[in-house]
Amino acid sequence: MSANTERPFRVSIPDEDIKLLHKKLELARFPDELEEAGWLYGAPLADVKRLVARWKDGFDWRRSEAEINVLPQFTRDIEVEGFGTLNIHYVHQRSGVENAVPLLFIHGWPGHFLEVRKLLPLLTKGSPDHPSFHVVTFSLPGFGFSEAPQKKGFAGKQYAEVANTLMNSLGYKEYVVQGGDWGHYIAGYLATHYAHVNVKGWLTNYPVALPPKLLSTPWLYLTHVFTPYTKHVKDGMARTEEFLRKGRGYAAEQSTKPQTLGYGLADSPVGLLAWMYEKLVGWADEYPWEDDEVLEWVSIYWFSRGGPAASLRIYYEMTNCFERAAVAGVKWTSIALGCAYFPKEHGMAPRSWLCTLGRLVFESTHERGGHFAAHEQPEALTEDVRRMFGREGPAFGVVAGRSGYA
Amino acid sequence: MATTEKPFTLSVSDTDLDLLRKKLEFARLPNELDGAGWDYGAPLADIQRLLSHWKSAYDWRKSEAEINKLPMFTRDIEVEGFGSLNIHYIHQKSDATNAIPLLFVHGWPGHFLEVRKMLPLLTAKSPDYPSFHVVALSLPGFGFSEAPRKAGFAGRQYAELLNKLMLALGYQEYVYQGGDWGHLLGVHAVTHYGHKHIKAWHSNMPICAPPTLLSYPRAYLSTLFDRAAKAGLATGLAWRRSGMGYYLEQSTKPQTLGYSLADSPVGLLAWIYEKLVGWSDQYPWTDDEVIEWISVYWFSRAGPAASLRIYYEMTGGNSHDTAEGTKWTSVPLGVSYFPGEPVHLPKSWAHTLGKVVFQSEHDKGGHFAAFEVPERLAGDMRKMYGKGGPAYGVVPGKNGYD
Repeated sequence: MSANTERPFRVSIPDEDIKLLHKKLELARFPDELEEAGWLYGAPLADVKRLVARWKDGFDWRRSEAEINVLPQFTRDIEVEGFGTLNIHYVHQRSGVENAVPLLFIHGWPGHFLEVRKLLPLLTKGSPDHPSFHVVTFSLPGFGFSEAPQKKGFAGKQYAEVANTLMNSLGYKEYVVQGGDWGHYIAGYLATHYAHVNVKGWLTNYPVALPPKLLSTPWLYLTHVFTPYTKHVKDGMARTEEFLRKGRGYAAEQSTKPQTLGYGLADSPVGLLAWMYEKLVGWADEYPWEDDEVLEWVSIYWFSRGGPAASLRIYYEMTNCFERAAVAGVKWTSIALGCAYFPKEHGMAPRSWLCTLGRLVFESTHERGGHFAAHEQPEALTEDVRRMFGREGPAFGVVAGRSGYA
Repeated sequence: MATTEKPFTLSVSDTDLDLLRKKLEFARLPNELDGAGWDYGAPLADIQRLLSHWKSAYDWRKSEAEINKLPMFTRDIEVEGFGSLNIHYIHQKSDATNAIPLLFVHGWPGHFLEVRKMLPLLTAKSPDYPSFHVVALSLPGFGFSEAPRKAGFAGRQYAELLNKLMLALGYQEYVYQGGDWGHLLGVHAVTHYGHKHIKAWHSNMPICAPPTLLSYPRAYLSTLFDRAAKAGLATGLAWRRSGMGYYLEQSTKPQTLGYSLADSPVGLLAWIYEKLVGWSDQYPWTDDEVIEWISVYWFSRAGPAASLRIYYEMTGGNSHDTAEGTKWTSVPLGVSYFPGEPVHLPKSWAHTLGKVVFQSEHDKGGHFAAFEVPERLAGDMRKMYGKGGPAYGVVPGKNGYD
């Protein structure tokens, strides 16, 4: 920790950057497409063309910027052992309830800090009927408007260090965490390194874990072997298998050659758009994306401080070049763990697997929603957070002196 | 039936050249981690240098003029269910009376020009070694051939097209040479047209599925007890772990990837350059060589995205092996092993591909053998098909000599 370097932050992309984007869009060269390809081979040509046309003429980045800047944003320098100082961008919204529970929301890829946007008014709202939260979210290093690490090896421990130092520097020694995608893994690493002292509980919407092993967790292993899977879990595992076979190309490339891929994504807004759009639609549960919504999302990557290529490196670092599962470094702790299952999520580990990550005290199963739960189903996810940490919940009062109620 | 063969002159439009120039001018590069080297992919310094060369020094028109010295043609080939595809090819005949017709098939990220350095060697006439009439096409969706318009253009279709091309050129019987997709398509070509039309084939990338104890006991058992084989297997596993990203994306979402390769010359450059260096055996690529190679993709008739679809179609979107639909045949097979190939499977496994009559192991050269060490690969062809060689005279009446 160091001196308070917090500064208010406003997104303000230079005119010349916007001009360059438009110049590139003007020069766009599109591929062909097979007849009746649909979504089979990737993002459909008609969709990408339509989005590019809108991006060129109609989408107003300055308007997006103005709306983003309504959020209370800041930057501050965070020291990371072995990596020097990184200037981190974050949103910090306090509740009107003094004893609100401090909650850290962590995004993933191709997500960003704005995924918290719809949750903010819900989580910070005070009421006698449910707990309230002080909410913090940050742009992961290399994403959004945070600096990217310059050295190799910035992985789980380091992301957790940034997150924990940030929360502590905001006066939140104890807090809870919510995350999906990389947010799930980083929450797991936060638990591994800072459980009890700082992290008091975590709720994931990305149920990914490794199967229990006979030698290390014999009881869980036997549970896993002898408990029949529910239809819900079976459907989920079938989806996971399908994902592993047909949906993991991006992860394989990003985990092994992120730099190679990065050149095209840094140079071509069309390429970046297609790369992300395919996931936004493919991973969500029939979410009615509006063109401007997609374009704002992609623009954040296009205009990001580290550039789009930097955001890919998390895959390489967290898996050690695809050598091991990113979740392998997460150790079981006894702090409260909750899991929100959304049906169209691409990872679906059975309960016994999740239990290898922590003390599973809360589960919630939804009928609607996909990978981007906070964005697609903010009310449902908020409800889960409230139920887990509220008065009747299994993790009520985990943060000393901050019950969440007035 | 009238032939649709036309001589082909490569002539990229000024508009296309101008668009490329503008894109290069406005190129936006990523940053790079300190000391990254090649660990994360193509190094920034290399790409910066190549970009700079492309912008200021490289002369496409000069490349074009040189390429146009090759005897190139196009003709329409009908493929059942897919209509007619206009196919581009080199057809270089030998002076030898009984030269052997040879079809050379490239792969990805290769192209028809990979045959270039071998042409004078293969077509040279001599009493000391056999001579070949060489045909080297741009695969559909690559180079200057049309791309299929419908889904499902796979092994059977490629085999049909390749065979029809040779028949159309008057070669009822011929031999086949290929690496990368050239090899994988060869397995299909030989399945459908082996013996009847393809009298022998050669691969410089003899990869295949692992033998099982029941199907190929000797190959299976020799793998268990052969240290060299085990070491080779390790390279296969390493490639699966860290060298297969491009393959997984191209075989599942080629369209998604295609947008950035079609729109960004820098993106295309990096994507291919990483393989040109990674898969070759310390070949001293010049900047001109690299840029020319990439330019063939950039200016390709169907665009760079079309070239990726072969991965999807040949694997059913990563749902099966590329060899699905093929069978072992007794068509004589020659294999050459080059040290720079990323994957070295146990040599005994080649027997699961066909009737191995010729085997050659080199101490130099990699994945792009025809380009890197043309004298070695051409040398293998001469040994395999020459007088006293194991495939001498496979094509009746065309033994390769006067």
